Amino acid sequence: MAANGQPSKRATVKWGVAVDLKRCTGCQACTMACKLENGTPPGVFWTRVLEKEEGTFPLAYKVFMPLRCNHCSDPPCVPVCPTGASYVREQDNLVLVNQDQCVGCHACVVACPYQARFVPGSNAGYYDEHTPYEDTNYKKWQAGTAQKCTLCVHRIDKGLRPACVETCPTEALVFGDLNDPRSKISTLIRQRSHFQPSAELGTDPCVFYLT
Amino acid sequence: MTNAFNTQLRAQQEWSWLLAIWLFLGGTGSGLFLLFLLLGLPAYFAVIALGFVLSGGVILLLELGSPLRAWRTVFRPGTSWLSRGVFFVFFFIVSCFLSIAPAFEIFSWLPWSETGLLAKLLGWIAAVCALMIILYPAFFFHSTSLAIPFWNTPLLPLLFVSYAVLGGDGIVLLTASYASHIPAQVGLLAIILIALNAVMIAIYLLTMDRAGGSAKESVGLLNRAPLRWIFWVGVVALGLIFPLLGILFMAPAASTAGACILIGGVLFRYCVLKAGVYVPPALVADVTDWSKLNRTSSDFAREYAGMTAQRTSRPR
Repeated sequence: MAANGQPSKRATVKWGVAVDLKRCTGCQACTMACKLENGTPPGVFWTRVLEKEEGTFPLAYKVFMPLRCNHCSDPPCVPVCPTGASYVREQDNLVLVNQDQCVGCHACVVACPYQARFVPGSNAGYYDEHTPYEDTNYKKWQAGTAQKCTLCVHRIDKGLRPACVETCPTEALVFGDLNDPRSKISTLIRQRSHFQPSAELGTDPCVFYLT
Repeated sequence: MTNAFNTQLRAQQEWSWLLAIWLFLGGTGSGLFLLFLLLGLPAYFAVIALGFVLSGGVILLLELGSPLRAWRTVFRPGTSWLSRGVFFVFFFIVSCFLSIAPAFEIFSWLPWSETGLLAKLLGWIAAVCALMIILYPAFFFHSTSLAIPFWNTPLLPLLFVSYAVLGGDGIVLLTASYASHIPAQVGLLAIILIALNAVMIAIYLLTMDRAGGSAKESVGLLNRAPLRWIFWVGVVALGLIFPLLGILFMAPAASTAGACILIGGVLFRYCVLKAGVYVPPALVADVTDWSKLNRTSSDFAREYAGMTAQRTSRPR
């Protein structure tokens, strides 16, 4: 990886997620699957579905927008990191945090336009005492350091899909390699009208919303 | 830290009083050191400046989530203004200390004198570092300006410099009634800087209000409770208008004016931090054709038939 946080030329895989807004029903199953898989602390949701009320009676409806880290091709959160804990993985485009190096300065949290980064202050769980589940899963992250959606990097490395994609009951989430023109995600992006979240910021997100 | 599940505009929650106090201590201390050098103030002002920056550094450590790893922040001076800032603070503390140390009895064994060339050189190195300590937070805020448009302005570094020098001036005013050798320009300088700050804040808020979106919401936050009281009463009335009137019409009240300037300085930084509103999530409705919600059941039937056909023919 170059010093400016850009992925090197060696990167051949570019993981991305396509979100079919016509299929998303706002069930928050991805939110829960993420919490179960990654054991995130209370109040922190690496992925979540935003809801917005639109229209007026009788044509009132809700629109949904699942959010996660966009694993931007030009991530604003990486160059602001003073320690190099935030990095773009060499072999693909995943924006990750080395929690052993993070000092918890919150710079990346503020720099991310998608509010996808979090610094939990403590190890406190949902109850007074840790449940057995929390005992096991809270070892996956350190309090006082930045954490974010890793696109379930531990699952990707085993050849599995991210937990949120796996669990989506309407198949609204599609995970795949954007560099492979024959992958399902590339096909969908070619065929359907789509947009990248806040693309005008120039971050070139790897999450595409199909409309 | 808690996520929101709706699309309303949201201000950053990460930084609050602790960082505002660091910005105040670092900026004011550095501003005081610049004044010390430019106006030829007595040496103990440089000690106060050094104390401000040092205590600010301690506050900054408290702000970190994992303070024991603070040494790691030196690794990315190529891209990160925070990393560069650590260097500026370090070099300021060292060069400021070395340049003023000979002025005091206990360091009289040092081989250079207070007025010698080496001390002068060290003093100017410290001055450059002091200027950068004032500026680097503004440059850092600019590097986060994709997320927070309120910080995306060249006025922010100017305001930080102006507030830093005004803060240094405030300290000099605060001690004016107890100290001797205070140059007469201090009062005049305060008046000029207060006027300058007021004009720049006005331009800042007006341009941000015109910019619309999140930046407009930031200005809105400053005009709504609870920030309204801190901004209009604390920053504008107590921090600018009151000291201006005090210096202009009540010369004996200079100390009080100095104290008010300092309080206004802390509150100004707090307001800038708390008014940082994130850009909103991309609005779904703007890009989706919701007129299709008016479809009838036969429309749906036709569409689903089409989708099924497409699904079976699509390559896997």
